[in-house]
Amino acid sequence: MPVIASNGSFLIKPGIGLMVWTLLVFGITMFLLSRLAFPRISEALGRRQKSIEDSIDTAERTREEADQILAEYRERLKEARAQADEIVQRARQAAESHEHEAKEQGQEMLAEAARKAERDIETATKRALDDIRKEVADLTIMATEKVTRKTLTDADQRRLVEEALSELDFSAISADATHN
Amino acid sequence: MSASAHSPGPATSTAPNGARRKLSTKQKLLLAAGVWLGGIVVLAAIYGVKGHRNNAFEPQNEFKLDNWVNLGIFSINKAVLYLVLAAVATCVSMIYIARRMQARPNKVQAAVEVLFSLMRDNITGSAMDEKMAAKWFPFIGALFLFIMFSNLIGYIPLPTNTEHEISVFGLSIPSFSLYAATANLAVPLVLALVVFFSYTFEGVRAKGPIGYLRGLIPGGVTGGMAVAIFFLEVLSNLMRILSLTIRLFANILAGHLIILFMAGALAVILGITALGWFTLPFGIALFAFEVGLVAALQAFIFATLTAIYLGGAVAEDH
Repeated sequence: MPVIASNGSFLIKPGIGLMVWTLLVFGITMFLLSRLAFPRISEALGRRQKSIEDSIDTAERTREEADQILAEYRERLKEARAQADEIVQRARQAAESHEHEAKEQGQEMLAEAARKAERDIETATKRALDDIRKEVADLTIMATEKVTRKTLTDADQRRLVEEALSELDFSAISADATHN
Repeated sequence: MSASAHSPGPATSTAPNGARRKLSTKQKLLLAAGVWLGGIVVLAAIYGVKGHRNNAFEPQNEFKLDNWVNLGIFSINKAVLYLVLAAVATCVSMIYIARRMQARPNKVQAAVEVLFSLMRDNITGSAMDEKMAAKWFPFIGALFLFIMFSNLIGYIPLPTNTEHEISVFGLSIPSFSLYAATANLAVPLVLALVVFFSYTFEGVRAKGPIGYLRGLIPGGVTGGMAVAIFFLEVLSNLMRILSLTIRLFANILAGHLIILFMAGALAVILGITALGWFTLPFGIALFAFEVGLVAALQAFIFATLTAIYLGGAVAEDH
């Protein structure tokens, strides 16, 4: 096949036909791209951008809410602590008050019991002394009857007993009983 | 222990169990360099270094347009095919991705989104106000993608060289070649003309014919100087057509030519076989450079200048 020699001038000689073809092909390309490709890509990018912005907004809102909730919780915790301290303080005061009252009441009861015991002892001592005195009188009468071989009258008996008893000292017994 | 015990040994050596040892990157590079240099030496030894100049082969004919379907001046040729391929690739890929846009993008969608944002926000949005950007973005975006796809398709070897044919199982098919529609002057020229008329129309619409022409003169310049500057500005505007056209055309054409030369054309012209082997790595490197950078960069420059011209045409102070 013979090689066609050329001086290369065709390289810088634009053909009208090719120019028209270029215009036509480029025009169709631009039309198709502007109708079928660019709007969809632009829309998808817009959607993505909106989604990202929404996500950022949501994240910011959530963070603000979380901060707010945290602040509220802290405030409540602070209040709860203050209330707890107050409750403890009140409880302590109430306990101290109760303790004090209980102590006073106990002391009062103790004193009352002591007083009652003293009274009982005194009564018992007195009763015992009376019993002793009566026993001594009876013994005295018996002894006297045995010594004198005669029965004494009531008046004599009474006189003798009184005399005998007056000579006896019950103070020591009485004092011991009181102390015990 | 001897020094030889530490050496990695020959790159192609086999391990005792017979499995091939995996080569490190350095070893691979050294091996490739060795093969390359060895190939040069072997080819030079076989075919010699003194060549015979081949005047019959003219590399520029790779860009010659033969009519495939004769329709007068609208005949269909290689450039028209590449234009259509670029348009189909642009539309199909963009529409396909646009119809499958997901909330969680895959890698391809993420790349398209980056490209889209670059076109809409960086190229168009930075040069004009929002309303005007929304109006002109389809034009600028389509221009960017169309040029980029045209450039990229130009680096795929396709069976389009009808000047040379190859026989496959007795069937003659055009030989594979690299060609780009944008390496043809007509394509960037018509795009530049569209840009020129677009921004002039937009400027005239915004300021009125007199206002637009008056806007070409910088504020504060009066008298004879204003007239001189006015003509300079008119000339500068017309030169924009040429600068847009030639920048794209020359870059792509030069890229293709230099790849062609490095990939063997130089060896064919000079008739030195070893030279073809010598220049091959440079051809591969230049190919990667053109595909990875120049194709997209030229589209970016064209689209960015378009946006700047459009924004400048309606700006208050020129």
